[in-house]
Amino acid sequence: MKAVTPRGESRSPSLAALVVALLFSVVLSAHPSGAAAPEGRVADTPDDWGTSLTLTWTYAGPPEEIEAFEIRRHAGQAQAPAAPAAADSIDMSFDTWGWALVDSAAPGDTVFVDSDLDGGTAYSYAVVACLGAVKSPSVPTPPARPERQYLRSATVNVLVAVGVFMALVLVLVERARRGADLFIRRIAGLEAVEEAVGRATEMGRPILYVPGLDPMDEVATVAAIDILGQVAKKAGEYETKLVCPNRDPIVMAVAQQVVREAYASVGKPHLYQDENVYYVTFSQFGYAAAVAGYMVRERPATNFFIGKFYAESLVLAETGNATGAIQIAGTDSDAQLPFFISACDYTLIGEELYAGAVYLSRRPLLLGALKAQDYAKILILAAMVVGIALAVASPGTFEAYRKLLQ
Amino acid sequence: MAFYDRMMKIDRRIIYLCMTLAVALPLIAPIGMPVQVSDETRGFYDHIEDLEAGDIVLFSFDYEGDVMAELNPMSIAALRHLFRQDVRVVALTTYAGGTGIAQGILERVAAEYDKHYGTDYVFLGYNPDWSGTILRLGESFKATYPADQFGKSTREIPLMQEVETYDDIALLISIAGSALSEYWAIWAGGRYGVTVVSGNTAIQAILIYPYYNAGQIPGFLGGLKGAAEYEKMVGKPGLGIKGMDAQSVAHLLMLSFIVVGNIGYFLSRRHEARLKRE
Amino acid sequence: MKRQGPVLLAFIIGMLMLIQFFTPNPLFLRIYNLFLDWKQVVLGCTLILGTWSLIRHHTRKIERKQENWQYSYVTLIGLAAMVLAALIWKTEGGPYTWMFQNMQVPMQSTMFSLLAFFVASASYRAFRARTFAATLLLIAGAVVMLGRVPVGALIGGSIGGHEVTVSTVADWILNVPNLAAKRGIMMGVGLGMTATAIKIILGIETTYLGKSD
Repeated sequence: MKAVTPRGESRSPSLAALVVALLFSVVLSAHPSGAAAPEGRVADTPDDWGTSLTLTWTYAGPPEEIEAFEIRRHAGQAQAPAAPAAADSIDMSFDTWGWALVDSAAPGDTVFVDSDLDGGTAYSYAVVACLGAVKSPSVPTPPARPERQYLRSATVNVLVAVGVFMALVLVLVERARRGADLFIRRIAGLEAVEEAVGRATEMGRPILYVPGLDPMDEVATVAAIDILGQVAKKAGEYETKLVCPNRDPIVMAVAQQVVREAYASVGKPHLYQDENVYYVTFSQFGYAAAVAGYMVRERPATNFFIGKFYAESLVLAETGNATGAIQIAGTDSDAQLPFFISACDYTLIGEELYAGAVYLSRRPLLLGALKAQDYAKILILAAMVVGIALAVASPGTFEAYRKLLQ
Repeated sequence: MAFYDRMMKIDRRIIYLCMTLAVALPLIAPIGMPVQVSDETRGFYDHIEDLEAGDIVLFSFDYEGDVMAELNPMSIAALRHLFRQDVRVVALTTYAGGTGIAQGILERVAAEYDKHYGTDYVFLGYNPDWSGTILRLGESFKATYPADQFGKSTREIPLMQEVETYDDIALLISIAGSALSEYWAIWAGGRYGVTVVSGNTAIQAILIYPYYNAGQIPGFLGGLKGAAEYEKMVGKPGLGIKGMDAQSVAHLLMLSFIVVGNIGYFLSRRHEARLKRE
Repeated sequence: MKRQGPVLLAFIIGMLMLIQFFTPNPLFLRIYNLFLDWKQVVLGCTLILGTWSLIRHHTRKIERKQENWQYSYVTLIGLAAMVLAALIWKTEGGPYTWMFQNMQVPMQSTMFSLLAFFVASASYRAFRARTFAATLLLIAGAVVMLGRVPVGALIGGSIGGHEVTVSTVADWILNVPNLAAKRGIMMGVGLGMTATAIKIILGIETTYLGKSD
């Protein structure tokens, strides 16, 4: 007998099929069984690259009599045993007619995803209920072909949102490039940057700039580095020492470059020193200890805590408060905002942080992108209002209100 | 300085001293505050309770030494709960400083329940890039961690034979002192569909509510209080329950200082108003 | 070319990453996995960069005898001791584990525990009923503080057949007004993230190149 492996199905039934078919009727009569047969359906698996099919089945008989389900597969249509029979004879029939044993499923299972299939071939499936000495096969499913999808259906809404947002960014950036007057409201924390740097200069003490604890792929860190560039320019103009300890080596490298260029842009490249923008440690509270220690020893006149912060925020802000420094914080870490608000002089909340660099530099390209965020927010709010209106107007909600009033 | 001014400007050192006593005394002489279980904790407990023997859980120690006082009780109680149900555990840490802590806890709790390394639990160790690790595990565990913490190939570890992607994981538990639980929920949960429950420091727990209400994190332990509630449910009182007395007294002390400060503030305003009238 | 090259690279890689999210094409999945692998490798290498910066910062401080230069010796000795202990005795047991468990962990825990003191002093200073909004903040803060510990569940009673305690009110504050505000901030943060990603892909944002203006 021809050995059949899960992947080794044959497309042409052998001559032995005839013999088996004859035997089959004999076997069937020898094993009369009232076992129900599973009913199978096969369909293309959605959201894949045309390499899998999904087989689902139902079984009308009592589930406790099932030991397992066997999944048989054949490329194209083929003959198959059609009635319950002795397990050996069913196996032999399937093998003879070229049905590959793909896998087996537990008694409670009703779905099987057959993957790594050939995209150009149609496949037929049979589900075989194993009932001890007897096996009960389903009628083979009509052949189905794996279809290729180019887009994951679950991501269509994201794609539309990204498309709309990207279009908004491009349109508003173009408007900004052409000189359109795009309004940004006054942000007190950013207005105070000049005063804060000036104070450090008057006192002859350094400025401490902490760019958060997260790596460069965090948007708050990108904003923090942007603001660092603007603060470094002002520090360069006033010839005031700027110190920037880092928790992430990549952020440190970027910060060094930003500060170097900021000093150069105001004609003071000689003021830049690598050791003032340095790496401390990756440890969260190790970093907090080092920065707090610096504040206590060197007593910087101005502290900036801009970026992503975690539980260490209060250790930093409260130590700075105790040393009497003027403190400007900015973060999108909402849990840390109360701490910064209570211990700092100014706090940039959430998006104010993202607006920071644009606010200070007034670069038209970034201004356009910032405006796009505002318009996107209006769209989201509109969608929420529509959603709430629909939810309120739905019959289920009325029913809930009625019950509540009762 | 007027009396109300003193009430408004209590020296930091006095506050610190009172806080030290408020935390230390209840630990030395426990009061035995009753612990009531919240829905968040019940969600965490139920998700572990619903697991079947032989299921595999991914357990991420997302913290290091600094927050271990708050999070170790959670990790220990959760592992006890898992091993008690004969659930198998694949553990990892997203912090370099978390390796020693995770290893110690795993070995200790595994010994309590006679669980064996390699078949009942595995410790994959630390990978430097947590965001890449979370995403890469969705494609292949063995490619993300070619070797475990002790340098043994994950292909040779029996338990790892059954773990290829998140599809093989029945539940993901993140015990975190940072925003890692949120990232697990967003990436591993959102993108790969694995159920995520978490244990978080009290500060971070506030951030978990949006995910809890949206069903993205169907249960979590919030701070020492969450740990105490969970210990009560698991039936093994530990550091969480012990710490509840200290936390209660510390919170009451903080409130007392706030009340004193505000009384001073009102008295000073009244005094100013009187001066104006005169 | 020095600037255009990286911007072009960011555009190509950014687009590949964006496309892989939307398509089931296995080629993009392979590229995605490749980048995730490389990201881990690059991140590992940056630790060398960080360590080198730390050593240079402190050796210069010692060379120039800057203020408090003695502390730099402590840092450098600590760094060398941990590295050497791990190399000589490995990380399982031995001096490395001892130093980790008995020095690093207690020091980190000490820093974290400072929070208890700082929260006390900051809340004492900040929670003053100066305005109506500040009074609301004060009341909400007090209720949450009490509600998050067991004593909160003991204060309260039955109102209209419902059990109302400080803990249930605290849960309501956390779940309703607090959550509404957080969702607003999160939405803004999400948009900010998307905007930044788009700006980087389109070459509008070049901060990551070390140039913010």
